[in-house]
Amino acid sequence: MTIDTEPLKSVSDIERTTLMTLIPGRIAALFGGRRWRSLAPLAVLIVLCVLIAIANPNFIELRNLVRLANSAAVPLTLAMGLTFIILMGSIDLSVEGTLSVSAMVVVLLAANDANGNDYGWWAVLAAIAAGTVMGLISGLVQTMLRIPSFMATLGMWFIGLGLSVYMLGGSAIRLNDASIRDLALHRFLGLPLAVWVAVGAFALAAIIQYHTRLGRHILAIGGDEDVTKLSGVNVTRVRIAAFALAGFFFGIAGVLAAAQLGQSHAVIGDGRLFAAVTAVVVGGTALTGGEGGVVNTLIGVLIVTVLANGMILLGISPYIQQTVQGLMIIAAVALSLDRVRLKIVK
Amino acid sequence: MQDSKTLTFSGSVSRRTLMLGAVAGAATLAMPRVLRAADKPTLVTSIRSLSNPYHAVWKTGAEAYAKWAGLEHVTLVSEGNSEKGIADIKAMLAKTNGNMVLNSDPNDTPDARPIVEACAKAGAYVVTQWNKPDDLHPKDFNPNYVSHIEFDGIASGKTIAEILFKSIGGKGGIVALGGLISTTAAIERKKGLDAALAANPDIKLLDFQVANWKSTEAFDLMGNLLTRFGDDIKGIWAANDDMGSGALEALRAENLAGKVPIVGVDGIKTAVDAVRTGEFACTVTSDPFWQGGMGLAIGYNAKIGKFDPAKEPPEHREFYGKAVLISHDNVEEYYKTNVESKPEIDWNDLWGRVTGAIRT
Repeated sequence: MTIDTEPLKSVSDIERTTLMTLIPGRIAALFGGRRWRSLAPLAVLIVLCVLIAIANPNFIELRNLVRLANSAAVPLTLAMGLTFIILMGSIDLSVEGTLSVSAMVVVLLAANDANGNDYGWWAVLAAIAAGTVMGLISGLVQTMLRIPSFMATLGMWFIGLGLSVYMLGGSAIRLNDASIRDLALHRFLGLPLAVWVAVGAFALAAIIQYHTRLGRHILAIGGDEDVTKLSGVNVTRVRIAAFALAGFFFGIAGVLAAAQLGQSHAVIGDGRLFAAVTAVVVGGTALTGGEGGVVNTLIGVLIVTVLANGMILLGISPYIQQTVQGLMIIAAVALSLDRVRLKIVK
Repeated sequence: MQDSKTLTFSGSVSRRTLMLGAVAGAATLAMPRVLRAADKPTLVTSIRSLSNPYHAVWKTGAEAYAKWAGLEHVTLVSEGNSEKGIADIKAMLAKTNGNMVLNSDPNDTPDARPIVEACAKAGAYVVTQWNKPDDLHPKDFNPNYVSHIEFDGIASGKTIAEILFKSIGGKGGIVALGGLISTTAAIERKKGLDAALAANPDIKLLDFQVANWKSTEAFDLMGNLLTRFGDDIKGIWAANDDMGSGALEALRAENLAGKVPIVGVDGIKTAVDAVRTGEFACTVTSDPFWQGGMGLAIGYNAKIGKFDPAKEPPEHREFYGKAVLISHDNVEEYYKTNVESKPEIDWNDLWGRVTGAIRT
């Protein structure tokens, strides 16, 4: 959907050429310009893997690759939902709230150590439905009350968190349903079922983005909402659908998180929002919307996961791990975003 | 567009009505309370949040004491926000005219000073726990600042480390999961671990990593540590139970649960269950139920004149409480008295768990 506008503004570009835009431009030209850029996140991922494997060959052991896939499962599912929202140029801060509601619902309805419920897989369906409803409400609040997504979803975050604190009574509740726990403990073709669920979520997200009208409309809104509206797209409906879709993915992620940890407590989502946004952005999806997609996000999630795994394998001190993470984020975004084309950086 | 406008409008009207209703309701509710406050003091608990098991139990303990003593009890939650914590306490002081007893777990170390000063000024009695600046002392605010209670993190970290070492036969490699780097509890518990390691040269600390008190982070971290050290990991030391339980689930995913013993601090239910099944070697708890109730009991007894804080010895003013160790030997009994039923505590035994004055 991105329209190449470079020839149109080339004159003004030359006029505005300052040191700031010159240097990244030169570097980009050196590597063959924009085509290279779209592959930058993948290159970062490959370089990262090679470097870590050289430093510690354990990295490419099958057991470790399985562990990598396992720890990427929840972030990948979350980031799938978030990608659609960021593609629209909006943001969804309700990730942690929705995730904790979904984890709370599944634990309280399936066999657990706090009440007598035992609805088995109905609990999973209810949890995903709860996530979807949370997303739907975010969408309705944003479009009907005309509240920016930042504030609307911030509100939903706290509502979700408050709801799970109340329902769980502040404590951690164990999930005793063996078949749901099998999502994390049972393996198919060597990989835990949770990984297959995440792969399924990725496939679904890819189909929605590339083969459905909803996917194309979401991208169009991110590119230019006014033009999209003038072309006859019902922007309100697309927005609501996108937030509900995101909630659906967060709901699945909540079930996976509860299955992995074997318990649910209100803060089960802590830190997930930041990780998901980082993965989406590092993958090369622009926060301004209209550029990127679920494949980028897959690579972004892998970069973040491999980095966390690699730092432990390399024995990097926990006291500087966050610093390394920050450097990597800046480096990945610097390589992948075409900042020469950005008129304003804010 | 018309629709959304009407919606917005109706929203604002109902919001206003709601506010009016809420204010009116709060006013009516507040009235009898203020009148009642004239005779019996109100018990006030100020804690960080209700979303963690630790403070949830704290509140149960506070309510149990209030019921036993037949007093009104209010819980204030700061949600990790120092300003809110202090402002709520000041509002309660104004509402009760200073006729209250406060048991506070200040959100952050510097918060203790404004809280104590506000209470002293209003004539309320206050007990603080865990956090206070080093230069703030109960004896400087007689009689209002009754006591400050902490638990010796070095002792806890050391005790669980020694039990872990014993359970793996005194030699081999272990990994350690630390709490949020800047917090006192994380620093002290690690010091305890270091002390135990120094005394046991056959134990090798393979790696010390930080999981910020969270089970989710510990879960991912443990998977990575298993890759790096594999079967060399004979035991896991965790600075709190939540991280320990995250590590346990990572072990379970690799069929290692119960084969690699874990130790933690806090005594949350998941950990107690794991001690019963043998997946945890032990956990140690400061007993939040006791903290929640006894903090109020000490303040209330000073308030009604049962004892004069100014005449109490220093180890009653700033002291380490006795931590309770839950290991294989006593877990069944602990489970019966603390998990299946509410613990029975002698609320008249104010100083029974004093283990000594706080190190300076």
